[in-house]
Amino acid sequence: MFRIIKKSLATGVVTGQYPAAKAPSEPVSREAIEKAKPFRRSLTIREVDTGSCNACEMEMNALANPVYDVERFGVHIAASPRHTDALVVTGPVTVNMERALKDAYKQTPDPKLVIALGDCAINCGVFKGSYAVTGPVERHIPVDVRIAGCPPRPAEILAVLGELRKDRPNSDR
Amino acid sequence: MNDGRGAVEQVRGAFARAIMEIGVVHGVPMLRLRTQDVPAVARYVHTDPGLRGSLSLLWVVDHRPREARHELCYLFTLAERKDWLLLSVDLTQGEREFASITPMVHAAKWYEREIRDLFGLIPVGHPDMRRLVRHEHWPKGSHPLNKDFAWDQVLERAQGEYAFRKIHGEGVFEVPVGPIHAGIIEPGHFRFSVAGEPILQLEVRHFWKHRGIEKLFEQQRLTDAVPLAERVSGDTSVGHSLAYCQAVETLLGIAVPPRARYLRSLFLELERLHNHLGDVGAICNDTAYALAHAHCGRLKEQLMQLNDRLTESRFLRGVNTVGGVAMDLSGAQLAHVDAELHTIEQEFGGIEKILFANASLTERLENTGVLSERIAWDHAVMGVVGRASGIDRDLRRDRPFAAYHECQPKVAVYRYGDVRARMRVRLDEVHDSIRLIHALRRQLPMGPVITGPVKTPEPGQWALSAVEGWRGEILYVVMAGEEGRIHRCKVRDPSFVHWPAIQWAALGNIVPDFPLINKSFNLSYAGNDL
Repeated sequence: MFRIIKKSLATGVVTGQYPAAKAPSEPVSREAIEKAKPFRRSLTIREVDTGSCNACEMEMNALANPVYDVERFGVHIAASPRHTDALVVTGPVTVNMERALKDAYKQTPDPKLVIALGDCAINCGVFKGSYAVTGPVERHIPVDVRIAGCPPRPAEILAVLGELRKDRPNSDR
Repeated sequence: MNDGRGAVEQVRGAFARAIMEIGVVHGVPMLRLRTQDVPAVARYVHTDPGLRGSLSLLWVVDHRPREARHELCYLFTLAERKDWLLLSVDLTQGEREFASITPMVHAAKWYEREIRDLFGLIPVGHPDMRRLVRHEHWPKGSHPLNKDFAWDQVLERAQGEYAFRKIHGEGVFEVPVGPIHAGIIEPGHFRFSVAGEPILQLEVRHFWKHRGIEKLFEQQRLTDAVPLAERVSGDTSVGHSLAYCQAVETLLGIAVPPRARYLRSLFLELERLHNHLGDVGAICNDTAYALAHAHCGRLKEQLMQLNDRLTESRFLRGVNTVGGVAMDLSGAQLAHVDAELHTIEQEFGGIEKILFANASLTERLENTGVLSERIAWDHAVMGVVGRASGIDRDLRRDRPFAAYHECQPKVAVYRYGDVRARMRVRLDEVHDSIRLIHALRRQLPMGPVITGPVKTPEPGQWALSAVEGWRGEILYVVMAGEEGRIHRCKVRDPSFVHWPAIQWAALGNIVPDFPLINKSFNLSYAGNDL
């Protein structure tokens, strides 16, 4: 026990110790911000991987580590699409994952946002044209927000999520 | 480099008639066999006490349009001195059937199913003829790696249903999981058959993420495909790009400058470090020990940020390039790496003490998900998972590449084969990687970091390359085509070998322990599905 307390005290607070994000290549659209309004200050996310190389997943996981600690902004990761406000989709949509993606989208209650994370989800990246890839995410479901990068850094993801929910009142309407 | 010449003599002595030709390709002895003799020879190589060959790779090349033949190649790693031995056989004149070796060599199971899907060649005698890569909605006759299959065609959707292996009996239930999982992980399907809590059977059904990577390689030039190799499995960007580059460098006759070799080792160890740290934390997290997860996550993040500062990529992408490395590190940068690793080592030592003082953690890890040495050997398991089950293999020691001739790793081997052992291997390798990086920096030679190609390979020439990534052995076979293009690129991530093995490790465990077992393997879905 003593060791644990000592370690925690010696470590201190590490949250926020990361370099500032570069400006996103594509600003968040007015419509997306408007669409995110019902979620107020919180946002629950379900991540769906439709064929990424898993680097995007690692960065999404990094959001939950103490350095980025995404929960401090009211962003939670849900275990089911039925509990979620926003689907974060990574990777080009493969032939084998197409149906699963559409199912997950259907299972997500309205109103919902779809965030295409990473170059592959936006334009198929290096996998473009392959027989096993059916196209970018927006070919199958409507996309509201795009976060470019291969993969985008966690700070860049945070910046977009912040942008999406800016000018939101602290308390209830 | 080991050449396995003694093994060739031994096989020739036993099977004089079966062997049509003996050759050596880039130091690997190769026996060309008659089609009908493959199972007998494979069995001999696999079971003979003097050879004890474990199947490392099985791949097919469609030689069209130059020659109308399919070539099957079986790569064995022999137990003694870890020599390689290659068996090869041709299918000509539209032959579509070959004799399966799976009944004798268990490790061939998925390879042969994969070959059936991707080439339409039928492994006669295979105990499991279900589809593997091509899910049921793929139309009949679509075999993407054949040369008459256009890489960019649009597939139609057919009807079909996959038949899971069934267990019948009173009180037996099936628990389907996936393809989309509860956590932030890649898609894959697990089908548990349970009676109460214990798992009676686990069937893994993957290839949801099949992106046609091997076909995409064939559309590229030898010198341009590094970015694709980096995206086979994102967490192993350095491992995969290094294995690819080495194969291409052999074809182009490039001798990589010493400084580049050292930097490659250094980056490979950095990749091993951040992944192992993340895994240790994730294993703890799956026992609900959030404190350790937080500390490991923080250290991992520190390393990722270090990567970013060094190379402008948190995954060290863009570092490896054909002929060397694309960026040099200055003295100041190297000193910075040393200093960061010094603090990480100290911190990690403290966390380790906390971990092992926690009985509720160690209790969960011990005897959970045991993969016995016998099953590991039968599946040709290696890497972290193998070393935790007593399989003493590490390419950095056995077939040194990059700078591992000069800086040798200490190989950590445990025998229990449980989650604890897999975590122990990782803990030991974290310390050893840090030691290696310090040593590499001390011995780092001066000089250029990249050289140009010496020759252009003839179409049909090929090279084999192996890299010990953080998961295990990454194998690449690259065959040159016309005008510097790629004719065939076989990619083998260790995950492809370890997924079938995890089905055994889960047996008898309770379902809530499966995430823990899965985490202790931490396999790539992307690298498996290709």
